[in-house]
Amino acid sequence: MLLSLSWLREFVPYDGQVDELAHRLTMVGLEVEEIVRPFSHLSSLVVGRVMEKKPHPEADNLSLCTVDVGGSECLSIVCGAPNVARGQHVAVALEGAELPGGQVIRRTRIRGEDSQGMICSEAELELGQDAAWIMVLENDSEPGASLIRALNLEEYVLNIGVTPNRPDCLSVFGLAREVSAIFGLPLQKPSLNLQEDGFTDFSSEVQVVIDDPAGCPLYQARLISGCTVKPSPGWMRYRLLAAGVRPINNIVDVTNYIMLELGHPLHAFDRRLLEGAKIRVARAEEGYRFTPLDNQERGLNARDLLIWDENKPIALAGVMGGANTEINNESTEVLLECAVFDPLSIRQTARRLGLHSESSFRFERGVDQLGAPFSLDRAAQLMGELGSGRVARGVARSEPRPYSPVQVMFRRSRANSLLALDVDREYCSRLFSSLGCQVGEEEGDGFKVTVPSYRPDLSREVDLIEEIGRIYGLDRTPEHLPRVQKSLHQEEQNQEYEFCSRIKAWAAGLGLQEVINYSFVGMADLDLLGLPQEGRVRVFNPLSEDQDVMRLHLIPGLLYALRQNLGKGNTRLRLFETARSFKEDKNLETGVRENNRLALLLYGSRYRMHWPYTEADADFYDLKGLVEHLLQVFADDPGKFAEHNEHPYLNPCASCSIQGRHLGFLGRVRREIAVTCKARKDIWFADLDLDALHVVFSSVQPRFQPLPRYPVVKRDMTLAAPLNLGYASVLEIVHSARVPILEDAALVDIYYPQDRQEKKLTLRLTYRHPERTLQDREVDAEQQRLADLLQKKLPVGFP
Amino acid sequence: MSSAQEINASLKSLIQEFEEILDQASSLQEVEEARVAFLGRKGRLAGIMSKLPGLDPHDRPQAGRTANQVKSELNRLLEDKKKVLETKSRSVQDTGFDPSLPGRIPDVGSLHPVTRVVQDICNIFVGLGFDIVTGPEVETDFYNFEALNLPPGHPARDMQDTLYITESLVLRTHTSPLQIRTMEKRSPPLAAIAPGKVYRRDSDLTHTPMFHQIEGFLVDTRVSMADLRGTLTAFAQRIFDPGVKIRFRPSFFPFTEPSAEVDISCVMCQGRGRVHDGTACRVCKETGWVEVLGCGMIDPEVFLQVGYDPEEYTGFAFGLGVERVAMLKYGINDLRMFFENDLKFLNQFIQAGHR
Ligand SMILES: [Zn+2]
Repeated sequence: MLLSLSWLREFVPYDGQVDELAHRLTMVGLEVEEIVRPFSHLSSLVVGRVMEKKPHPEADNLSLCTVDVGGSECLSIVCGAPNVARGQHVAVALEGAELPGGQVIRRTRIRGEDSQGMICSEAELELGQDAAWIMVLENDSEPGASLIRALNLEEYVLNIGVTPNRPDCLSVFGLAREVSAIFGLPLQKPSLNLQEDGFTDFSSEVQVVIDDPAGCPLYQARLISGCTVKPSPGWMRYRLLAAGVRPINNIVDVTNYIMLELGHPLHAFDRRLLEGAKIRVARAEEGYRFTPLDNQERGLNARDLLIWDENKPIALAGVMGGANTEINNESTEVLLECAVFDPLSIRQTARRLGLHSESSFRFERGVDQLGAPFSLDRAAQLMGELGSGRVARGVARSEPRPYSPVQVMFRRSRANSLLALDVDREYCSRLFSSLGCQVGEEEGDGFKVTVPSYRPDLSREVDLIEEIGRIYGLDRTPEHLPRVQKSLHQEEQNQEYEFCSRIKAWAAGLGLQEVINYSFVGMADLDLLGLPQEGRVRVFNPLSEDQDVMRLHLIPGLLYALRQNLGKGNTRLRLFETARSFKEDKNLETGVRENNRLALLLYGSRYRMHWPYTEADADFYDLKGLVEHLLQVFADDPGKFAEHNEHPYLNPCASCSIQGRHLGFLGRVRREIAVTCKARKDIWFADLDLDALHVVFSSVQPRFQPLPRYPVVKRDMTLAAPLNLGYASVLEIVHSARVPILEDAALVDIYYPQDRQEKKLTLRLTYRHPERTLQDREVDAEQQRLADLLQKKLPVGFP
Repeated sequence: MSSAQEINASLKSLIQEFEEILDQASSLQEVEEARVAFLGRKGRLAGIMSKLPGLDPHDRPQAGRTANQVKSELNRLLEDKKKVLETKSRSVQDTGFDPSLPGRIPDVGSLHPVTRVVQDICNIFVGLGFDIVTGPEVETDFYNFEALNLPPGHPARDMQDTLYITESLVLRTHTSPLQIRTMEKRSPPLAAIAPGKVYRRDSDLTHTPMFHQIEGFLVDTRVSMADLRGTLTAFAQRIFDPGVKIRFRPSFFPFTEPSAEVDISCVMCQGRGRVHDGTACRVCKETGWVEVLGCGMIDPEVFLQVGYDPEEYTGFAFGLGVERVAMLKYGINDLRMFFENDLKFLNQFIQAGHR
């Protein structure tokens, strides 16, 4: 809401600083977002007086003017407007001045004649629509004076963010009420001096029929006849401009002016285009089509409220008038509507049709039904004055749902305890009165408050308590730390945040860098990765195509981060992200399974690229090492890894599981996908289920074992195995042998002979007896038993 | 027979001689030779000491003390010289030793600035006794709007541009649904904070379609505005600095009443509106204040939704934007950087946090 200071001062005599006003409004919840000077772009223009006017010798339609702009010498200016005349006061743009459209005035020669400036039209100054004629000022201004000072436009406008609960503050007068309450200043109501005209009562001429009383509790209309449609006078146009509303003509401008002043939207119909003697308010029908003032036909449904004459719809109630009954330059008879509509209905129609107007904005929030007659009368009076018309006697109206006053019980003790204040009855009662409430007799420690009709937000005690806090100043209430109490028996604790924090600390500690990506990606990203169609969670109204589906896997975000970084020359990345994946699951409350996951991405050099590290790129075992480290730290378990050949975007790929729970996959991003990130090297990527790991983590707890007292015996065993034999199967046999004194088996070397026909694995076996020192022959025997078993179960030999 | 003075003099001169010899010595071998010559069993000191018994019994104790002092002084000189030579010999022998060469630095990881700020904030509130709760990011219309006193058609729904999954399912536009979910699951007294991702259909210089919020709420009997103000003042002073000022502006949220927006004194210009060189502060647009969060006393309607008696219980709630806090705390001037994940950005946050 744009509030012009001069307009405000018509209703409340605030004479302090604009900054102070802005601050106080902000501190009562009417946030002043900006203080603007709406006409400051005209500050370089000056008043000029045309001293002499001669025809241009070379062009019939141009004049040579001598203009006094206050300097010692007059300027000569070439002017093309037909209305320029000697003795006129005009708006002059001097050399170097910039017009609102961006044009900078230069000294030029026009058809051989010197022109030292420009005499401006209203259109050039964006003060009106008249582009052909120059703007002629009142004759009382001094040549050379500032134009905006001469026009009284040197004013401040406050841009106020009005919260949706305060429709009463969507008007100058409403804001004046607040200013009056804040500063304790008297409030002056707008003047009303309506002269009705004619013998017949307009209410007997036109009948108002409301089919939908809930949709339209009040409809009233007046007739202003014999009007002349023309531009509004300057003062009105400037006020509208300062309030951000484009002036159109004197009739439409009055409706806007009153809306800005009193907050009630009005609409003007051309009476001669209305058929019959009836105005009806009724819903549309499904499939009905209607063309509002913007000349774009819209399809309606049965929930849209319309205004009708005897034969046709003439307006989308509260949203926009119809093109069929619009005021035009030939209109003389104006039917002026001032009604109250159901906020919800207006909102639905405005939203569905994408037709948001100043009018619908106010109706959606609620207008003042009790104030409606005053708004109508004041608008009619003003329209009569500016349009040289006569306001017909009487009002055509119907009010099927009269306003019923709202009474709220207020307890001082409740207010004081909620706000931590100690305000007395006198204070509360004065405060409510200053806000337009009526305060009743004392009842207990409180009283009944009848709230004003323009404050729909005050319907409960807590709303009144808020008013106390708001006007007293929330910033002045006391403050202390609360005593946080909790149940002795703590209910179910949510550990998700804590577990994710531990994971993040682990990852950062291992030298990985955290990234955060959007939770949505494009369908095309998922397609590229070969992910299934089913289970995807689509965004119904995405901002763009590349954000139209929730992440099914985390990988698209990390590949995006990789691509961005490669583009910026960062060629070594060790990234991690913890985030949720989203998959459709109809059995869940929200229909979506959200799964916390950990993604790891390694790209480029294994080590930092400096001495004493040697150059080598990260490989599968770097990635697997991280995952194994994770499993050891969080589950004290080595986990199980197995080759997996059907992964959509990883190849080679291993699956990872722990204690029978599948955790995820790790491997190399397929080359055809890697190239889309402009990656020249292998991208190593893991995607693991943190929720599953969390379950294991929660079930594991260290258990003390007595420390061994006897020494170990270590023996190496080298076996030759075919290339395709997995290490896991060797280990499995070793463990299956259940050698009681075998404490550990570790792979210490792999050797690939020249011919590459087989590989040689060296295991280091650690033996220990818990109760005595082992003898060599016992160890030899077990070592032999293991070797025999391996040879029996696997195609291995002992070189 | 020597006099006490003679012995004393020869003891004193011993120190000077020893110093001179050590000065000349360039190897541990030479030092060892000097040690034998002076401190050895047949060395100079032993020679002088052997004369002590011949002294006048009166003078003996004094001479003995002097001899011992000289002995420890000689030993000290010897050790000092050895240290100097050892240090020198190491760098001379291992010519490759150069402590200024880089070590094998393990990779240095980092937490995203959003995570850092979330953790800082959560730690503050955990310290005040709040629990941490989490909830779904795809949320029902009921929890995201209706239960928070935002029925369908409420104009306040326009305050947040919503991304929908279906007609009744949204990407949560705030962390406030956690108020409802937590109150449904537990009973008062309760105090919790809910960090998480939230989504809006908005993307420009100052908005990203995904960002992070932290919701906080406390419900008990007799909770007042003073509790809310105190909590948020403590929070602001701990997350920014103890001198930061805080201001409560009345505002409107459908799920709190009274509602307020909270500004802190601008951390860039210390609330002066102008930075050091006198130019206008861009962060606070010269106002000296920056909005950081919205808050209020929980609306009775919300309590009715979860079956709490609004006459018995009161509470407060607040919601703050993490990126906003991070921008102020670290001086980040472009919101979009948070989600571009440029290493040159992330590398600026490798230092371990303070809390
Ligand atoms: Zn500042």
